[in-house]
Amino acid sequence: MSNTYTQFCKLEDVPVGGKKAAKINDTWILVCNIKDRLFAVSNFCSHQRKPLLSGRVRNCAITCPVHGAKFNLETGEALNLPATKPIPTYEVRVVDGWIEVKV
Amino acid sequence: MTAQTAEKMNMAKGEARCPNAPSTQDIIAKDSVAAPGWVRSESYQFLGDEDIPTERYYEEDFARQEYQNLWTRTWQFTCREEHIPEVGDYYVYDIGRKSFIITRVAENEVRAYYNACLHRGTKLRASGTDGCTSEFKCSFHGWTWNLDGSLKKAQCEWDFPHVKAEEFSLPQAKVQILAGFVFINMDHDAPALETYLGDEFMSHLSAWKLEDRYVHCHVSKIIPANWKLTMEAFMEAYHVIETHPQVAVSNADANSQYDFYGEHVDRFISPLGVISPHLAGQYTEQEIFDQFTIGDSGGVSTSQQLGENDTARAAMANMFRGMFEEASDSDLSHVSDSELLDCFSYTVFPNMFMFAGISLPMVYRFRPVADDHRKTLYEVFFLRPLPKSGERPEPAEQQHMADDQSFVDAEGMDDGFGVILDQDTENLLLQQQGVEASAKKGLTLGNYQEIRVRHFEQAIDKYVSGK
Repeated sequence: MSNTYTQFCKLEDVPVGGKKAAKINDTWILVCNIKDRLFAVSNFCSHQRKPLLSGRVRNCAITCPVHGAKFNLETGEALNLPATKPIPTYEVRVVDGWIEVKV
Repeated sequence: MTAQTAEKMNMAKGEARCPNAPSTQDIIAKDSVAAPGWVRSESYQFLGDEDIPTERYYEEDFARQEYQNLWTRTWQFTCREEHIPEVGDYYVYDIGRKSFIITRVAENEVRAYYNACLHRGTKLRASGTDGCTSEFKCSFHGWTWNLDGSLKKAQCEWDFPHVKAEEFSLPQAKVQILAGFVFINMDHDAPALETYLGDEFMSHLSAWKLEDRYVHCHVSKIIPANWKLTMEAFMEAYHVIETHPQVAVSNADANSQYDFYGEHVDRFISPLGVISPHLAGQYTEQEIFDQFTIGDSGGVSTSQQLGENDTARAAMANMFRGMFEEASDSDLSHVSDSELLDCFSYTVFPNMFMFAGISLPMVYRFRPVADDHRKTLYEVFFLRPLPKSGERPEPAEQQHMADDQSFVDAEGMDDGFGVILDQDTENLLLQQQGVEASAKKGLTLGNYQEIRVRHFEQAIDKYVSGK
């Protein structure tokens, strides 16, 4: 199952500025659409495993709404405390109007 | 010494001005599109000529008194409104060891909470961060506060019968929003911000419409000098001829104008597109035009042949008007030459500079580094006018430069301006070291060109002494 792209959702379900979380196999994935560029990361903060879905996205980073940890959406890098570890990032593409994520 | 200089030296203290050169007001009066009243006024007074004692720049005790008496009682710029546009958005502002969560709790209400859990003190949000939340939960034991500051949850409430929710709301500082800037003051008895700034400056500020701008670029760097010394490096154009010789050709430095308004605001106007009195007669108008350096050029070329009777300043104003009209998609035909060209540098006490005008749209902020009062966190914000659509772009992320990195490396920084900032800040380590090394324990100031330094230090003295 690894290293293959899996359909995530229709592109129209994640408009510019939007985000969506869903499970692929056993992995919760968060897809964000920033100015027509898609990013796929783990939906869980590396600090306390809280969902990132309702976090604010700005300048290619998402902020965990619970304790304020921030992650670079492109690299997964933790940008500030209380997180110190990165979150996984995934390759993402669009095929025939579907967002696909490689998990 | 010329006879005229000698004559000026016999004037009352503070009355002498750069001899054999037009004044700033003379230069501006000749412009084709006239400047508004806030440009065409003067407000200088002699404030004394005694030395400024230098212990303030290095003694730890002085920094301690500043934290105790100055930072706790003055209005400070924390963030722009566009940093926190939505309810629940927050921005952490630190001064020394104090830290505040600046957060929008309702569409038209912003609060500043002391950034510490009321249980065992953990910061509720890390310093230097921003984000959006529906509550502030401590990452240690999970005590939680609502956006309005009321206690939402004390973990294991049964163990805290002595905690009364009504006594456990997050403490706040005063907040006021002005021209798109969110200011705080820890002193609940402090005068209103408008009173603190004074009517005269308020009338200048309202003319600039800075609320209709956004943070296009935000750069920071640690400067190895005390915050006051660092600020003072930007308070006069007197240093231009020695520190920035490349711009003196097109900068009226020794004939710049200096003013102050009340205790907390002072300014200079430094006309551009005219030659420094130090270099008078050495360059043609064409050469002055060609060497002009601007702060936010947007990469537009400045090459243009001047006619025989054209002045560099008039040609610069025309070129800028066209350039900025195109860039901002707006009509600038009524904007004065002076506002398009000149450098209007204002200090808003204690630690902020605002620049009016079009070509140099900066705000500076200076804060002592919390654990080293001989270092400064220096920030430069470029505030651009909003696009005509009115849609507010996201504020630029802060770019923090390494100690040995050039400002030129910052994304969005004009190269010419980056070099100027490098030159300004490169002097400061030598000055900090020299002030500490010197046999002379005071700074000697010019009566006119360095009046902003004296005015600023008089306010420092007032606050530090607890008055």
